[in-house]
Amino acid sequence: MKGKTKNPLTKRIPRELIGDWRKYLVVGLFLILTIGFVSGMYVANESMLSALNSGAEKYKLEDGHFELDEKADPELLDAIASGEKADVRLNDADFRPVPVRLYENFYRDEEEDHNNDGVTDGSVRVYVKTADVNLACLMDGRFPESDDEIAIDRMHADNVGLKAGDTITVGKKEWKIVGLLAYVNYSTLHEKRTDVMFDALKFNVAMTTKEGFDSLQKPIHYAYAWQYKDSPEDETEEKKLADDFLKAVLTQTVTAENEFANYLPAYENPAVNFAAGDMGVDMAMGGVLLDILIVIIAFIFAVTISNTITKESRTIGTLRASGYTRGELIRHYLAMPVIVTLISEALGNLLGYTVFKNVVVSMYYNSYSLPAYETVWNASAFVKTTLIPLILMFIVNFFIIARKMRHTPLAFLRQDLKKEGRKKAIRLPKWKFFTRFRIRIIFQNVPNYLILFFGVLFVLILLAMAVGMPDTLDYYKENASDMMFADYQYILRSFEDEDGNVIVTSNDSAERFALTSLIRKSDAISEEVSVYGIEEGSSYVSIGGLSALQENEVYISGSFRDKYGVSVGDTILLDEKYESRQYEFRVAGFYERSQSIAVFMPIGQFRSVFGLAEDEFSGYLSDSEITDIEESSIATVITERKITKMCDQLDHSMGAYMRYFQILCILLSAVMIYLLTKIIIEKNENAISMTKILGYENSEIARLYLLSTTIVFAVCDAVGVFLGTLVMSAAWKAIMLSYSGWFAFMITPAGYAKMFLFVLIGYLIVLLFDFRRIKRIPLNEALKNAE
Amino acid sequence: MSEQEINFLEIVDLTKSFGSGDTRQEVLRGVSFSVAKGEFCVLLGPSGSGKSTLLNIIGGIDSADSGYISINGDKLKELGEKRLTQYRRRHLGYVFQQYNLISNLNVRENIEVGAYLSDAPLNTDELLHTLGLYEHRHKLPNQLSGGQQQRVSIGRAIVKNPDILLCDEPTGALDYTTSKEILKLIEEINRKYKNTVIMVTHNEAIKNMADHVIKLRDGRVRLNERNTHRISADEIEW
Repeated sequence: MKGKTKNPLTKRIPRELIGDWRKYLVVGLFLILTIGFVSGMYVANESMLSALNSGAEKYKLEDGHFELDEKADPELLDAIASGEKADVRLNDADFRPVPVRLYENFYRDEEEDHNNDGVTDGSVRVYVKTADVNLACLMDGRFPESDDEIAIDRMHADNVGLKAGDTITVGKKEWKIVGLLAYVNYSTLHEKRTDVMFDALKFNVAMTTKEGFDSLQKPIHYAYAWQYKDSPEDETEEKKLADDFLKAVLTQTVTAENEFANYLPAYENPAVNFAAGDMGVDMAMGGVLLDILIVIIAFIFAVTISNTITKESRTIGTLRASGYTRGELIRHYLAMPVIVTLISEALGNLLGYTVFKNVVVSMYYNSYSLPAYETVWNASAFVKTTLIPLILMFIVNFFIIARKMRHTPLAFLRQDLKKEGRKKAIRLPKWKFFTRFRIRIIFQNVPNYLILFFGVLFVLILLAMAVGMPDTLDYYKENASDMMFADYQYILRSFEDEDGNVIVTSNDSAERFALTSLIRKSDAISEEVSVYGIEEGSSYVSIGGLSALQENEVYISGSFRDKYGVSVGDTILLDEKYESRQYEFRVAGFYERSQSIAVFMPIGQFRSVFGLAEDEFSGYLSDSEITDIEESSIATVITERKITKMCDQLDHSMGAYMRYFQILCILLSAVMIYLLTKIIIEKNENAISMTKILGYENSEIARLYLLSTTIVFAVCDAVGVFLGTLVMSAAWKAIMLSYSGWFAFMITPAGYAKMFLFVLIGYLIVLLFDFRRIKRIPLNEALKNAE
Repeated sequence: MSEQEINFLEIVDLTKSFGSGDTRQEVLRGVSFSVAKGEFCVLLGPSGSGKSTLLNIIGGIDSADSGYISINGDKLKELGEKRLTQYRRRHLGYVFQQYNLISNLNVRENIEVGAYLSDAPLNTDELLHTLGLYEHRHKLPNQLSGGQQQRVSIGRAIVKNPDILLCDEPTGALDYTTSKEILKLIEEINRKYKNTVIMVTHNEAIKNMADHVIKLRDGRVRLNERNTHRISADEIEW
């Protein structure tokens, strides 16, 4: 006699791995690549976020900035910096003075011609080199030192193919690019706070010397950046500080007879926050995708093991009868998925921290203007890509294996593992024998087909994104002109010139309109809403019932309706941006030819609601360029370009990935279908072998077994295309709710066909393997397992 | 032999039925007998006589409707599922008509599957020699004949040196010569390791090699006798 023997069942595991190496290789690679990519994403994101966070201090990020029409005198600056309100009579019990440090952060918005061909390619915001606030991280070259040297944003340079040493025309003057940089307050190139998407192709930020800045012609924007003397503890406090400081800025500016132009706390500045937020969304989405994938793989594993248990039922019965506990056998069957997951996690993380991290970093550098980073090893990546997948794999498999192991040793010995005793055969109509046979096969494999369906649905949700995103962007690019009610919207600084004369134009197509911005508050964001006052009988905004509207009734844009689910008769509440005034409107109808979140009312009603003078207006709508209004009187011009720039940027940063993603989805579907159909065929090995003994040919057997799966698969594919699109549309809507603006999710009929075909291609590849697998099932399989 | 050893295994008024209502079928109808420690007991009977059901109840993998079984004074029906598993683990070895070996473990490892369950298993190499499988110890089950596979399954059952070896038609799937070899092996094991052997068979000839013969028919004990002229497995013919 000798001591305790090691559990010999563990020796089965490496043999099982080697014996069915194709299956485990496919599963393993699938897990390794997924975990690797998500791990790489977590590491890259955390590293980038850490660089952003530490950069905020290192590069002296503002807490916000405001703009004045005129340069502030020292007294006004001191008054504002004190954080005190000018008009102390205003009854505002909650107000607390917010002392700040103020810094000049002046800039000019100049035209850029990056290839020096005389044609304007976009705009560039030029700042003076400073050491006080909103500094830039030098990514390449050096900072400008003479009046003809300029340093530009690294990401814009990459996008338009510029590098240090090249020349660029800014403000009609040629400059030498001496450096590429990343401004701390422009981690994404958002030109305005209302931009839905940054625009690294047409918008640039740059740095010149003081002399260089002075040599430019466009008006100076008198922007003042502030930093709180006492940093807020959290976002709530930061908002309170920003609200109180706004009151100080407003009252002090008015008292000093200056004009207040813009107020933007850092937490509301997309150029500061978008990258971090987007990376956060990426991490969250990556985590969810990984979890879903792991659950699917876990189910595939569990079904495979469940079938193995059925196959090994007698042996299990013997082991249980001999004294093996249920727990020992559950642990034995759980070992394989856990081991495969652990190995995949180890390799996946290794790849994640090396290869994939660099892939993700380069993706982010392609989209965001980020400072240099250092790899940060973080615990959350370990938890999300190691612990959680392991737990998910364990739970799913434990649940299914434990359920299967509930049976008594005798039930295992008798191979009687059906839950509800012996099922009665469902009566089928007198169809052809093959049809009935196939239906029986489908009934027999319902659990496997269900998993197949969920697997296919998951792939199709991903495919809906991969196909729908380019479709959506194409749709909006192609229809941008239809979504603009005028080719040009000229917004004037004031409807009167300096002499008090109303600004007019001789352009025949020009039509006056009024415009203001209000805020629609929600938990997610404060959405800026454009409120238009339209001339009666307008040739641009033709709304039949506009003149018949009651006092508080308005039309809203289709985008407004779709984004917030507003119906006719609903009441919408809109707030003033900088005042605590709220407006309540009843929705009388919808206007479809506007892409923005907009409200329309007659211009007369507009003037009355917002307290405008009798003839006051905001600008002109026109289908042709207006050339007889002085540039200095024009605040901004909205053209089709502004609508399409989001599409261009999204297409530029994500278009190529979406094509890769489509290929990935085909592979993903092929892998899942391979694993699931393998299970179905393995489960039917005995029956297939028996049909061979009876004299059926391989092609007939394939018609029986493969056609059944093909029929079910085609149905899953079709239903999956429909459901996948629905799920993606809902997800898209949820995502859009946290951004300004609205784009409805679109898939063209060709897109639906693509989705269906991509998954079908995956299936057809697998079908070849399946046919080979059926051919290789030996005749004696049925006899070997016969009682 | 002490009183306890004589009544090592006691089966008292055991009943068992399957189904309900019109389909109710009584398989055991008040079966009672006892088996002494180290005895070679054969349960004989035609198909449907209840012998396999009785063996399963003795083995703790099935339960009786009434009556009880006690082993060495411990009543099985008082044991919960966990203790029942422990009881099987410590005291029982099972051999079935199907060999139920693990296909991707070799001969030695299949036997070690049984050894793992015991704190004091028999020496595997010695047992392999006894089973006549030492030269085949590295082979997988599919490389063995039916008789060899049944030897492995006996090895797996006996390696933990159980108090009781339960054999359910162990020769049912084997030819005459191989069957005799298996019977000789069981006999040898019984003699060498002093385990109590209870063997279910419908082969009348096997009763001649047993110490104790129980005949069942229609769920009742029709014969319960000690064999005074026991012959060796080698000598029996059918």
